[in-house]
Amino acid sequence: MKGKLKYGLILAGALAILAGDITIAAAEGVLTIGRREDGTTMDPIKTAQNVDFWVFSNMYDVLVRVDKTGTKLEPGLAESWTVSEDQLTYTFKLREAKFSDGSPITAGDAAWNLLRIRDHKESLWGATYSVIKDAVAEDDKTLVVTLNQPTASFLSTLAMPGVSILSKKATEADEAGLSDHPVSSGAFIMKEWRRGDTVVLERNPHFWEADRVSLDGIQWISVPDDNTRVLKLQAGELDCGIFIPFSRIAELKQDANLNVLLDPSTREDHLLINHEHPPLDKKEVRQALDLAIDEQAIVDTVTFGVGTVANSYIPAGALYYHKDNLVRPFDPAKAKEMLAAAGVSDLTLQYNVEAGNEVDEQTAVLIQQQAAQAGITINIMKIDPAAGWDELVAGNYDISVNYWTNDIIDPDQKTTFVLGHDTNMNYMTRYKNDAVKELVEKARVEFDPAKREQMYIDLQKMAKEDVNWIDLYYSPYRNACRKNIEAFYQNPLGRFFMEDTKKM
Amino acid sequence: MHRYSFVLYRPLQLIPVLFGISVLSFVLVKSIPGDPVRMLLGTKATPEAVARIRALYGLDEPLFMQYFYFLKNLGIGEMGQSILYKTPVLPLIADRVAPTLFLVIGSVLLTLLIAVPLASVAATWRGRAVDHAIRAFTTAGLGFPAFWLGIMLIILFSVKLGLFPVAGYGETVIDKLHHMILPCLTVALALSAVVTRNLRASMIAELASDHATAARAKGLSESWIFRRHILPNSLIPAINLLAINVGWLIGGSVVVETVFSLPGMGQLLVRAIFTRDYMVVQGVTLVFACATVLLNFIADVLTVAADPRVKL
Repeated sequence: MKGKLKYGLILAGALAILAGDITIAAAEGVLTIGRREDGTTMDPIKTAQNVDFWVFSNMYDVLVRVDKTGTKLEPGLAESWTVSEDQLTYTFKLREAKFSDGSPITAGDAAWNLLRIRDHKESLWGATYSVIKDAVAEDDKTLVVTLNQPTASFLSTLAMPGVSILSKKATEADEAGLSDHPVSSGAFIMKEWRRGDTVVLERNPHFWEADRVSLDGIQWISVPDDNTRVLKLQAGELDCGIFIPFSRIAELKQDANLNVLLDPSTREDHLLINHEHPPLDKKEVRQALDLAIDEQAIVDTVTFGVGTVANSYIPAGALYYHKDNLVRPFDPAKAKEMLAAAGVSDLTLQYNVEAGNEVDEQTAVLIQQQAAQAGITINIMKIDPAAGWDELVAGNYDISVNYWTNDIIDPDQKTTFVLGHDTNMNYMTRYKNDAVKELVEKARVEFDPAKREQMYIDLQKMAKEDVNWIDLYYSPYRNACRKNIEAFYQNPLGRFFMEDTKKM
Repeated sequence: MHRYSFVLYRPLQLIPVLFGISVLSFVLVKSIPGDPVRMLLGTKATPEAVARIRALYGLDEPLFMQYFYFLKNLGIGEMGQSILYKTPVLPLIADRVAPTLFLVIGSVLLTLLIAVPLASVAATWRGRAVDHAIRAFTTAGLGFPAFWLGIMLIILFSVKLGLFPVAGYGETVIDKLHHMILPCLTVALALSAVVTRNLRASMIAELASDHATAARAKGLSESWIFRRHILPNSLIPAINLLAINVGWLIGGSVVVETVFSLPGMGQLLVRAIFTRDYMVVQGVTLVFACATVLLNFIADVLTVAADPRVKL
């Protein structure tokens, strides 16, 4: 009996400890953010993924930053710069700043980083920076960059997290160890990275704007299941959650403990068209397809009204966006007429869609039903995400939904990729229009802002006329925070301004 | 031969089993379409960058050469590089062992804690209302999928009642225990349904057996008979049943770890499969295979120890 009593007491004690109020709040001033997937590296040149970039932008500083509106550049580690008359030489004046190990950030570091992203064998961004002819440190604070040809978008590429400023000395000494103990030039230092799980950041006392930072640290926590992430946020185990599903937004707006934040992004979802598969090579047929799709219905049903109908390949609010660009109405009768006039009957299309992607699958079903009203038969083919892009590269599709987010504020990057690019077949669409291609090249080297803007407006009109693809919808970032979190903000390019975020 | 001599030669069976598994997992993961480099580089990558990174990881080599390198690496105790995380696979897996082990052991203990009393009650009061209720519970337990049950438990115990954390793994030992109760319960509810049914059936058979009747004839009390004769004899098949279900348990950890965001091997495997991170898929598969073989081995030892008649 005594024995039983003893075990009973131990059990009761254990239960009391377990059931007691153990709401595990992170230390005061540490912001916990739940996201779907964990990052993949701490080396900026070796990734092209947003999950990585969004961490980098508060860990590493860049020479030139993007402002909060996502349309203008502002000084970062470079406090000022001048450009030569021929647009080929950029001279940057670096500010007094230190790395997290206390060593000064010099023009030598900056030059080394620019050449590293251009030349490193594991760099994913070599092509973007191949325009750099050379980067030289004239003295500790003066960086001179020369280009192979004048390029209007060059400055904006310097704001990309891929070209974050790392310490030359520390990286050369131990490049493999970069992901375990990086030396940072930004607001926070990485203390620990449990791969696939959590990135732990701590405030960097050597950051040149350290006075601006209020948080003691940040934890990026991977919570792969959307429902679990929302529940964790509701239960107060997370301060913020990102990638909130469209379907949960209305409900979370009602939650008195939460602020739902729908910051504008540059994300545009569109329907790729394979121009090599007849009759899709005919412009009239592509226009008819556009008429057969009701974008507003997709916005209402799939995004629960959170998105907005897209009218241009340049996202709303971005530089040179043409807000009066054409939106073709939903008109299945006219679509039918146009198809008949083009001599097309019984149009049957193969629609590739990513299996398991709820939003894309719903969009596909909706488009299938809408197009049926215009007499177009759509066969949906679900493909595993890892295999999907290979199919698009190989041209094994007629239409397929996809999306794009901008990495730089300048429209040149996306415009080149989707309208003026040979090696990627204009984003796998096989779209060809030499007049458009020529204008893309001209706009790249036009330095008069007014003229340049007109060129991009023309490009948006031409792309819409040709239906290079079908613009579907723009959608904002979908984040939510507890009420005690202030200034949790993401600019349209995805940069979080954690240096301003406060946990009350 | 000694009853326990299988302990010596059984581990030798591991060699062909692991070789077979390594070939199978390699062939299977390579034969599904998809490209890890595409997943890594995203949709904006140039063909030149794709080719360069493929070569960097040896993905442009013939398949048999890739398998040969994999074996060569295993020979020196390595599992190659993760393409996604750009880091050696072995430490990546080593970091993930604890949560999965915790989940599997905790689930088995919790299963026994639920199944043994339920089966005893059901067998003792066979055909009564309580027996029917328990059978209804086991049917329900088998029917609920883990991803749904997990979310329901979270909503009830974490969000409404605030007793447990929603998800995650925790920092200290107590904290971890606290975090692991709901995931273990999710697995245990399904597993205990199977075990309860089997345990109840063997208890009923034992209750009607000659040795139980003989014990009753000697005037021993029903509770004494149950504890000393019925329970030990019925538990032997249950051990084997649990061992058979280890594969299922490990498979289930994939779902449960995702729902409860536990940083275990199951979660690692899921993301590795989606991103075609070949070396990680092969590494985790091998570790899971070893674990299954090892746990079955332990179950055999336990059976031999529990039942003097068994010879292996």
